[in-house]
Amino acid sequence: MTASTLDSHPLHPPRIGPLEWIRSRLFPNLRSGILTILLAPVVVYALYRGALFFFVNGRWEVVTRNLTLFMQGTYPRGEQWRIVAQLMLLALALGVGTSTSAASRADIAREAGLTVGKRTPLSIIKRFWSLIVFVLVLLYFAATVTPWLVMAGTVAAFLVGTSARFIPSRFRNIGWTLAALILVAAFQVVVGTVGYSWMITAGVLAAGAWATFQFEGVEGRRATVYRTSVAVAAAVVAYFVYTVLVFPGVGWDHWSGLHLTLWVSAFAIVLSFPLGLLLALARRSTLPVLRWVSTGYIELIRGVPLITLLFMGQYILGFMLPQGTDPSSITRAITAMTLFTAAYVAEIVRGGLQSIPHGQTEAGLALGLPTGKLMRMIVLPQALRSVIPALVGQFISIFKDSSLLYILAIHEFLGVRSLVHAQPDFRVIAHAESLVFVAIGYWAFAYAMSKESQRLEVRLRAGKS
Amino acid sequence: MNRERAQVFADATEAKGDVIIEVEGVDKFFGDFQALKDINMNVGRQEVVVVIGPSGSGKSTLIRCINRLEKHDRGRIVVNGIELTDDLRNIQEVRRETGMVFQQFNLFPHLTVLDNITLAPREVRRMPKKEAEELGMRMLERVKIPEQARKYPGQLSGGQQQRVAIARALAMQPKVMLFDEPTSALDPEMIKEVLDVMVELADSGMTMIVVTHEMGFARAVANRVVFMADGQIVEVGTPEHFFTDPREDRTKLFLSQIL
Amino acid sequence: MLRAAGQVAAVAVIFLVLRWLIGNLATNYGRLNIGFDFGFLFRPTQFQIPNHPEFDPRSPVWRMVLVGVKNTALAGIFGVALAGVLGLIIGIGRLSQNWLAARLSSGYVEFFRNIPPLVVIVFFSFAVFLYGPLPHLREAIELELFGSDRPALILSNGEWGIPGIRSTGDISLYGILTLVGIVVAALVWRWRTRVTEQSGESHHRVLWSLGVLLVVLVGSYVALGGPFVVDWPQLSENRRRLVSGFSVNAGFMSVAGALGLYTASHVAEIIRGSIQAVPWGQSEAANALAFTNFQRYRFVVLPQAMRIAIPPLINQALNLIKNTSLAAAVAYPEITNLTQTSIGNGRPAVQSIVVLMAVYLAISLVVSLILNVVNRRMQLVTR
Repeated sequence: MTASTLDSHPLHPPRIGPLEWIRSRLFPNLRSGILTILLAPVVVYALYRGALFFFVNGRWEVVTRNLTLFMQGTYPRGEQWRIVAQLMLLALALGVGTSTSAASRADIAREAGLTVGKRTPLSIIKRFWSLIVFVLVLLYFAATVTPWLVMAGTVAAFLVGTSARFIPSRFRNIGWTLAALILVAAFQVVVGTVGYSWMITAGVLAAGAWATFQFEGVEGRRATVYRTSVAVAAAVVAYFVYTVLVFPGVGWDHWSGLHLTLWVSAFAIVLSFPLGLLLALARRSTLPVLRWVSTGYIELIRGVPLITLLFMGQYILGFMLPQGTDPSSITRAITAMTLFTAAYVAEIVRGGLQSIPHGQTEAGLALGLPTGKLMRMIVLPQALRSVIPALVGQFISIFKDSSLLYILAIHEFLGVRSLVHAQPDFRVIAHAESLVFVAIGYWAFAYAMSKESQRLEVRLRAGKS
Repeated sequence: MNRERAQVFADATEAKGDVIIEVEGVDKFFGDFQALKDINMNVGRQEVVVVIGPSGSGKSTLIRCINRLEKHDRGRIVVNGIELTDDLRNIQEVRRETGMVFQQFNLFPHLTVLDNITLAPREVRRMPKKEAEELGMRMLERVKIPEQARKYPGQLSGGQQQRVAIARALAMQPKVMLFDEPTSALDPEMIKEVLDVMVELADSGMTMIVVTHEMGFARAVANRVVFMADGQIVEVGTPEHFFTDPREDRTKLFLSQIL
Repeated sequence: MLRAAGQVAAVAVIFLVLRWLIGNLATNYGRLNIGFDFGFLFRPTQFQIPNHPEFDPRSPVWRMVLVGVKNTALAGIFGVALAGVLGLIIGIGRLSQNWLAARLSSGYVEFFRNIPPLVVIVFFSFAVFLYGPLPHLREAIELELFGSDRPALILSNGEWGIPGIRSTGDISLYGILTLVGIVVAALVWRWRTRVTEQSGESHHRVLWSLGVLLVVLVGSYVALGGPFVVDWPQLSENRRRLVSGFSVNAGFMSVAGALGLYTASHVAEIIRGSIQAVPWGQSEAANALAFTNFQRYRFVVLPQAMRIAIPPLINQALNLIKNTSLAAAVAYPEITNLTQTSIGNGRPAVQSIVVLMAVYLAISLVVSLILNVVNRRMQLVTR
């Protein structure tokens, strides 16, 4: 046996040439080689037929001529400026939100003495490529220049929003409040002050006021009093403002197409989360009645398909409310979807709560924390962080399930096809093309969301030791 | 200096009979990181070689290359006359002749202890069930826990599980036994029972390559001690030479940290 | 103290809200003179179930419910079978060394997982069948086997005619003999397995069992003088319907096929995840013992992977069954579809929906029980 000598040996790993790559990946042994030989022609043929369908034979005029129907359905043509404004405001809110979150992560990293990864335009494109491709497809199908201008305006609004990173770190919370307010404004600009909009606005203003005025110097009871009074004041002001400033809009009963799909999903997600949280806590409650009721509710909802709840909403909900209040189809649908998703959110959160080691609760109790604070500050944050991937999965599910509104004859992204194919020109042709278009639309959003969830999962796991 | 060293090595090898494992000029890369740098080593029949070194030195990688759990990128490895190549048949032959004991035991949790031991003889060597079970019980007696035959691994202590793992590897009647830190995952009070089995195995004439931190074992049983660091073999010697009069500074540093 | 009061308050609130809701329901129903009873189940259905010419519209509603449940079960069984087989292949393909197989499997999963199942169902129903490349039944494609003048398959955009079985003798006796044959084949399986354990030679038990079964099936057929013949599909004189053969409805194929394809993507992910969840050391130990790839999968990896995979797989089966309710969008008369039609025809909505939910709850309950039993049986034995 000899000791090793370093001088005469190269130190690079052996490189793999293209021929070697083909051999090792496609023909490493006999069985694999046969598989390649069987699969390759099928793939080539499929690609060939696919290319024919997409670029040569396909009747894509069904999309080109009906693009507005797909995007916003039967939304009144004269009010389209509202949707454009909504798009810009949403981009603005997104810009504010993402830059605030990136900035606060940078703050934390700076305090810990670490560096944060750079975010280049190229990495963003790689991250959201499915959405970008979908938008490009839409622009391609659009006949006029206007969509391009709208797109440019949206991107500009986003960039303006990212200037929120210049807010000094002490006031970081204002960034979040601002984003929330802009989101509400985006909703209001289309909906006006009809219906439930003022309630939503008042609620968000109150929450925003609370978040903004942290009263960090003030402790205990007084802080709570201050915060509550600011919140109440904000709600009252909002109420008066909205009863005075009445301006018209287009209620969500008149929305359809992809526009409706996105908003219905957003509402179902946002509303189901607090409800699901409450249900999960109730299920662990010491009071038997609360436990039974919540368990019964969760098991009931999880045992039936969503469509039955949508039927309930459509046929029964009207009867459960006093005569005269007649919620629209969309309201019923959103209610049903929220109640449905909340049960699944509850189960996910319950799983998260169960996964927190009992030692955490014990440590908190040993420190003298009351149960409420213990829950809020120690157990819940950890539990929620650990189940974020599962929650996002559930939200993707509800986004896809919004397609069920088609069965209720509501014209969301899938359902608007009935209007498209009701036209004499498209009665019997181009069904495949319109369905492929719809499928690609859903896929682009769902894929982007699932990729984000995977990134989150990696980041959460990296955070754990 | 080199000639003197070579003399020691030659004595050690020839003293124990012909060569059963040849490792020649072996490099191994994980991506751009080089885990093994020009490893040259011969192991003779019935020799007990103990490999020590700091973590990350490549010692586990080395023995895992010997039964092809890792694939070496350059160089030759020959086991019992069979050279390790990409050819599956070669690999299978080599694996039949080498037994391995893992740090994490890796017993099959869904099978009983006896089934764990007899599965490979039955399926790989096509032994009839009765014969395999008799062999299995003999192996269990050899590791001193025949009464555990019908239990499941989950019901055994760590030391017992590792002994079952040794019995499982022995049941294939290998020519060489490879041990990858067999006691590192055990509670202190169970290390002795496993080491006792390994000592008995060495005394019975089995060729063994053992990666371990147990210096007492090395002193008692090893024919040779190999010290590796940073992917290279730094020093080799008999236990007497090695522990009392190491030559390389790196070796001295390591020994001072652990002894 | 405060907590307890808070919880009691919460209970009170829930109770009051429920009382208000149900109170309104009762009031409104009272105004409209609708009863709360389930008597409608015993009154005539008064509409025809599509593709079920044998169903008499005068039969009571509960019969319609049974037809719906049967159709739900049928689509569920075929869908689960398709999803299981396809999902297994794709799941293992994902882990293949062959780059092409791995990529295709990944592509399949990433595509189908991210689109709504309803889109797949509608695609099959409208783009593949109804407005698709196949002609109407009047001009149906008739595929003949070599040298025969009778069609073996009749393809149209609404239904397909496939060969069926027509009884010409004692077919029930044949059925019994088939069952006997299966039992004998199972015994042969056990015998061959035992032979291997004694002597160590290959058992070829699959060949032996299938061979024995084949002998029994053919022998019984001959012995009974041919108790059945093939019922070839045939169109009526005016080419408006199928008069013989077995008719497979396009709605059924859409729902079962689409859900099979969709759920297969989830099954593939579960199987891939469960195989990857088996600790790597297990594979290493198997490799060190000189197992072939096949042996390693069969004895070490798959048994452990199955333990991990079975609960989520059973969950997916339940999801598929619940997803058959999406047939309400196409012309397949399973229970949800029929309930919608029934309510449209004037049946009371609340009670109908209660019945509908009860059906699904019953199915969920049965599946949960199966899951619990399976889980308990598969627990690994520990200290």
